[in-house]
Amino acid sequence: MRILLDKFTKKFDDVTVINDMDLEIHDGELMALLGPSGCGKSTTLFSICGIYQCSGGRILFGDRDVSQVTSQDRNVGVVFQNYALYPHMSIYDNIAFPLMVKKMDAAQIKREVHAIAELVHISNLLDRKPAQLSGGQQQRVALSRALVRKPDVLLLDEPLANLDAKLRLEMRSEIRRIQQETGITAILVTHDQVEAMSMCDRIALMDQGKVLQVTTPNDMYHNPQSDFVASFLGNPPIAFLDGQVESGVFAPNNSAIRMALPSSISTQAEGTKLRLGVRPEYVGSAKGSAVTGKVSFIETQGRENLYDITLDNGAVLRSIQGVRHDIAIGQQVQWNIETENVLVFSENGNRIQ
Amino acid sequence: MRQRIGLLGLGFMTPALIMVVVFFLIPVVMTGFFAFTNMGTATGVSGGEYLLTPKIIKHFEAGDQFDKTTINALSSTSYSVSDAALAKAEKAGLKKKYLQEIGKRLNGKTYAKRRDFIRDLKKLKSRPRNQRALIKSTESFSQSIINKRFETLEGFKIALQNTGVDLQPVQTDRVIEASYTGWVWTTENFTTMFNKPDTWFVAANTVIYVILVLAFNIGFGLFLALTTFYLPSGQSAFFRAVWLLPRISPPVLYVLLWKWLTWDTGFVSTILGWFGMAPYNFMLGSVESAWMVVVLINGFVGASLGMILFSSAIQAIPSSILYASEVDGANRWQQVRYIILPQLRWPILFTTSYTTLSLLTSFEYILLSTEGGPGGSTNVWSLEAYYTALNNYSGNLQYGYGAAMALVLVTIGVTVSLLYLRLFKFDDLVSRPRIES
Repeated sequence: MRILLDKFTKKFDDVTVINDMDLEIHDGELMALLGPSGCGKSTTLFSICGIYQCSGGRILFGDRDVSQVTSQDRNVGVVFQNYALYPHMSIYDNIAFPLMVKKMDAAQIKREVHAIAELVHISNLLDRKPAQLSGGQQQRVALSRALVRKPDVLLLDEPLANLDAKLRLEMRSEIRRIQQETGITAILVTHDQVEAMSMCDRIALMDQGKVLQVTTPNDMYHNPQSDFVASFLGNPPIAFLDGQVESGVFAPNNSAIRMALPSSISTQAEGTKLRLGVRPEYVGSAKGSAVTGKVSFIETQGRENLYDITLDNGAVLRSIQGVRHDIAIGQQVQWNIETENVLVFSENGNRIQ
Repeated sequence: MRQRIGLLGLGFMTPALIMVVVFFLIPVVMTGFFAFTNMGTATGVSGGEYLLTPKIIKHFEAGDQFDKTTINALSSTSYSVSDAALAKAEKAGLKKKYLQEIGKRLNGKTYAKRRDFIRDLKKLKSRPRNQRALIKSTESFSQSIINKRFETLEGFKIALQNTGVDLQPVQTDRVIEASYTGWVWTTENFTTMFNKPDTWFVAANTVIYVILVLAFNIGFGLFLALTTFYLPSGQSAFFRAVWLLPRISPPVLYVLLWKWLTWDTGFVSTILGWFGMAPYNFMLGSVESAWMVVVLINGFVGASLGMILFSSAIQAIPSSILYASEVDGANRWQQVRYIILPQLRWPILFTTSYTTLSLLTSFEYILLSTEGGPGGSTNVWSLEAYYTALNNYSGNLQYGYGAAMALVLVTIGVTVSLLYLRLFKFDDLVSRPRIES
């Protein structure tokens, strides 16, 4: 079901956390609400499921305005960060709970619970108590409980935050699989850009209660609308160079380095202050503008190494390359920057295309 | 090294151990000890004397161990003049000249009746001229043991022989036993207790009292905890503080307020009077209203404990679990029934067992309010024990019997706590974490 936030506003007493937010989640889509801590993404999620009351604007499920509807009547499924399983109930009772409070008859509850347990692969755990399950299993139970009542929307609040790295990878694909098999509209709140990019159809990137950009992961990575979006996506993160246009090329502040600007952007006037975003994969390739710097840090990542290069003005570029044994810390290197793939931002952080 | 640490630990614990022994262990042991004695005001708590009273003789008459002649002989008084009796008389302060004359003229004589002795004394020149003094002078020669105190068993036995009454050994023992005024070991307390209909009445009262007050405490405490949980925090803090007042106000003052409230000239009667109802003493007016007042007085005090424990237990439930139940579609009642109450099992168990035990032994609010009345209808076991052993109208305090009642209470208390531990699977509750987050 389509979810629409229309001029949605949330205040806690006098503090406005979200102001006039517009966001549409298409039917059957998995949308990520991505942003740093305190950006309002969890507040948005809790407002969509009705735990928080909306202070202004509308929330629509399909064509139904649910802004004033209590959470009991909204028909949403929520997976909480700590799963919030009922510790005194068996797994079966946990999953059956949403149906039981609707007074569905026992035979049908049994059918539904077993069907969902089958889908989420926990049929063998139904007799246990939550405390007897591992984190990943608890996660699956929480998903089953959220899905069993066939909600209009599935809300996932940092669902992978409490899992170890290996389980996180497994559950990432599991959640995606279950979401696609059920075809449910889902919203995933996360601060982890890898999670957002790997699982979701689209990402809404939020900061300080505002949605900065809504697009597909791929587009967001390659076409960020601001330097904040560019810096939030990508691991290792993008590096920025501040400088200005001199004689038609980019000159970083207090530096002898000169770099060509990408040919795709319009001609910039002499003296325009710019901010260049350089992703690590575009440093150290065969072609482009050569820059000289000193290797100041080497991070081993196994297949690849991450090199930090300090330029003559103190700015740091990052480069990710295959493991090289000819480079040591302190060494002077001259590496190329693929200038066509450099992201150009104006002084206030907006993308120039 | 190990040894030194052990001693150090013991050293730190010594004050606590002394406290436990002095204020807990010794009283319990003493109760057990008193329970098997007939100590009381009449016997004292130290040793006793031997005193054969006319009352005891009457008891013998009622029984069948002694025949009529023996009883007559025991209770009669004979007079005999001997050196020992003369020495005793001298000590009593009779004139020497008079005694010498008695010794010379009457030594060795025995009289079965005082009248005969006095007739002979009247023949003496040095006799007291005053009739009353003359009669009094016979006392030192009396051989009766009625109403005479003997410090030791030996003295009493000799005096018994001196009466010249021919007693069988069994009868002698019976007389000695009956005459002893000190306390003795006995199990009579328990047989009396179980045979007395009053005991069963008080026991039934106690059961009613404990069940009613317990139900009120838990039910009302739970109600307060749940309602204040759903109130905004400022208001809930206010209401909790209000319900704490009975607990923190001095019991005497608190009960005094109840008296003002419930007496026939009190608040309730006055209000009802405006609507034409006759004044009524709710506290002592009828058995039912007395019970109601007793339950309410104790219940409002006890409910605050439950309220605090249940409130904090509800607060300890992770908020995400409550949120989850809401988005799962549970309404308030379903949330309470399926999510909150099951997680309150432990505090409810604790409050139930703790309150049961404290109610079994507590009587102060009953003592201050109805004093067990009207007509003993709100009298409970612990109050009865208190009256029996420590404070009653007749002034005949029966320490032994009271201790026996207390011992029964201790036994019941221990049994009930063991039962609770079993019933609520205490081990399960403490060994596993109660709330998973």
